[in-house]
Amino acid sequence: MKNKKVDFLVVGGGPAGLSAALEAGKRGLKVLLVDEGVRLGGQLVKQTHKFFGHEGTYASVRGFEIAKILVKELKKCKNIEAKTMTSVIGIYEDGVLAWDRKANEVFRIESEYTLIATGASEKYIAFENNDLPGIYGAGAVQTLMNQFGVLPGENFLIIGSGNIGLIVAYQLIQAGANVKAIVEITDKVGGYVVHLNKIRRLGVPVLLKHTIVRALGNNRVEGAVIAEVDESYNVIPGTEKELVVDTICLAVGLAPSIELAAMAGAEVIYIPELGGYIVRRDEFMRTSVPNLFVAGDVSGIEEATTAMLEGKIVGLTVSSEKKKMNLLGEIKALLRELEDFRRGPVSERVRRGFSKMGIKTVSGGFRTEVQRSKGPIGKLRAVIECPQPIPCNPCETVCAFGAISTGGSINGIPWVDYDKCTGCGLCALKCPGLAIFMVKEEVEKKEAIVGIPYELLPVPEEGEKVLGTDRDGKPVCEAVVEKVVKSKDKTHLVYLRVPLKYVDTVRGFVVSPREKYEFVCRCEEVTVQDIEKAIDEGYTDYEELRRYLRIGMGPCGGRTCRLLTLMILARKTGKRMEDLSPGTFRPPTIPVPFNAFLEGDKN
Amino acid sequence: MRRIAKHPILDFNNRKKIKFYFEGTEFIAYEGDTIASALIANGIDIFGYTSKKGRPRGLFCCIGKCSSCLVVVNGIPNVRACITPVEEGMKVRRQVGKGVTKEVKEIEE
Repeated sequence: MKNKKVDFLVVGGGPAGLSAALEAGKRGLKVLLVDEGVRLGGQLVKQTHKFFGHEGTYASVRGFEIAKILVKELKKCKNIEAKTMTSVIGIYEDGVLAWDRKANEVFRIESEYTLIATGASEKYIAFENNDLPGIYGAGAVQTLMNQFGVLPGENFLIIGSGNIGLIVAYQLIQAGANVKAIVEITDKVGGYVVHLNKIRRLGVPVLLKHTIVRALGNNRVEGAVIAEVDESYNVIPGTEKELVVDTICLAVGLAPSIELAAMAGAEVIYIPELGGYIVRRDEFMRTSVPNLFVAGDVSGIEEATTAMLEGKIVGLTVSSEKKKMNLLGEIKALLRELEDFRRGPVSERVRRGFSKMGIKTVSGGFRTEVQRSKGPIGKLRAVIECPQPIPCNPCETVCAFGAISTGGSINGIPWVDYDKCTGCGLCALKCPGLAIFMVKEEVEKKEAIVGIPYELLPVPEEGEKVLGTDRDGKPVCEAVVEKVVKSKDKTHLVYLRVPLKYVDTVRGFVVSPREKYEFVCRCEEVTVQDIEKAIDEGYTDYEELRRYLRIGMGPCGGRTCRLLTLMILARKTGKRMEDLSPGTFRPPTIPVPFNAFLEGDKN
Repeated sequence: MRRIAKHPILDFNNRKKIKFYFEGTEFIAYEGDTIASALIANGIDIFGYTSKKGRPRGLFCCIGKCSSCLVVVNGIPNVRACITPVEEGMKVRRQVGKGVTKEVKEIEE
């Protein structure tokens, strides 16, 4: 059996594993990174949204772009070997066994240090018919649509309103699907407010205190029954509702993939706040087994950003031990960063989980008040609708005029200094939560300009009329597109001209469909435009048009379209109806199966 | 068709076509597809049937963790469709139950 001897084995090529491998590789360690998937990057490759955080942690960069950056860096580092399609199948006392699925070959790895960064898998819940094809983990749908460009259905129901449920709903709409509802069994939305607001603006209903009762369908999902629940999460009889959906996404949480760490002998503990069974580790990510580390979701379900920081800590810790380098300063800086990230209310659960593990965390120490002032009326300026402290500050760092501040902590609520704001709109383009809008009142005209960050298709044209919608996605007024600032990173800023009284109301818009159809022939889907074009090309007789466009050749035999076609022909050619030939009438009048003739012949 | 033609952020166009077979019928996939993404794109939701209750099985986690997507590829059972790239001429079949290898079949016969 082949034997690979390395200093550092990294199992899992997601954000944690890649970050660890890079830190160790850069410092001269011989690193082997293995991943089961076809591509490196773990779940980053399907994240199309911009990440929260700060510049040092790739804030405002889309997840799949972060994966590209990390993988590119990895390839530059000669002492890192990365193997995809390779599954570690067991950790034994005298080595690790891995299966290279491409070569169909099991090999042995001897490593001095090992990091288990195997991530997590989707949690499952029990309801009737929950195994039907068409029921997916929400992450699976995200993989299909964002990594492979495949939408597994048209109408979706999402179970669970954590960040994954909210993000997948938004991304489904970006991909052109319908999201019928998100159901949430508790009485509050689990994910970030800015993620929630994004999908509310698109009109997606979030049904609190609701759950799925059963999936409908025999061979695949054809619908779902949802119902309200009481305080003990039991279904209230009589509240059942049927939804016509073809795909159901379960976004009910993640379970750490602890198997490898556990079989290596690392202590496993049950901490529900961190995702259930997790691997106990210290602040340097060491498990109870010497030289065995964990990082990322396997050590507690969190974010890709914290996974990257944890991975870096492992890479540095391993390097410092192996190469006898003093890297404590760098490690401590990363620990402080993690501490800062976890200060806010969105990390409350995670903090509780860590304290059970004996890991110190701190909370508070940042601004929680929302800015009251919306700035001087009449001036083009930024209005920030980011009411929940989350670890994110690109608005502050991108502003060239120093007009935005989160108050000294990354978790602080951003405020705008309206004396300094020039209305440039850069913050609105950068904000990962799409939570910054540009406004300007034009009082004498009784109109206002509202700038809205936009990541959907189609992108409207300047001068185009659109429907202005409110924070719940409900239409409120007609609006005219004043200006479209297109951005390379695909978040565009669309400025709308709206009636003055809707300046605080319009936060989204609906573009009318690009393709407009006026049908003449319903069977063969021939439009007025098709006929006019054909006439212009010289087909000026009904029979010619029929042969060219198949108009009237469908199952209705021309009952619906013949007259309408002739009227268009008369109008375009200037001839009188009476002078046009209506074409030939041929049997059969309706489609008849051939076996009817055969049957008829028998008798 | 379940392929996303236009996307505000991503571009899936200009990829090489790959021919493969599912249950004997020819289908088209694109370079970069896994067996799972190619099947779902072609409207195939049932990847197999369970051994005990004969229930249809489809894709569930799509990242190699849940093993719901096991199919028979070129005669080899228990291949995870979601983390196996589709290849030109590949013959994919639905897996019924636990999957029987050629060797086991020979012994049984």
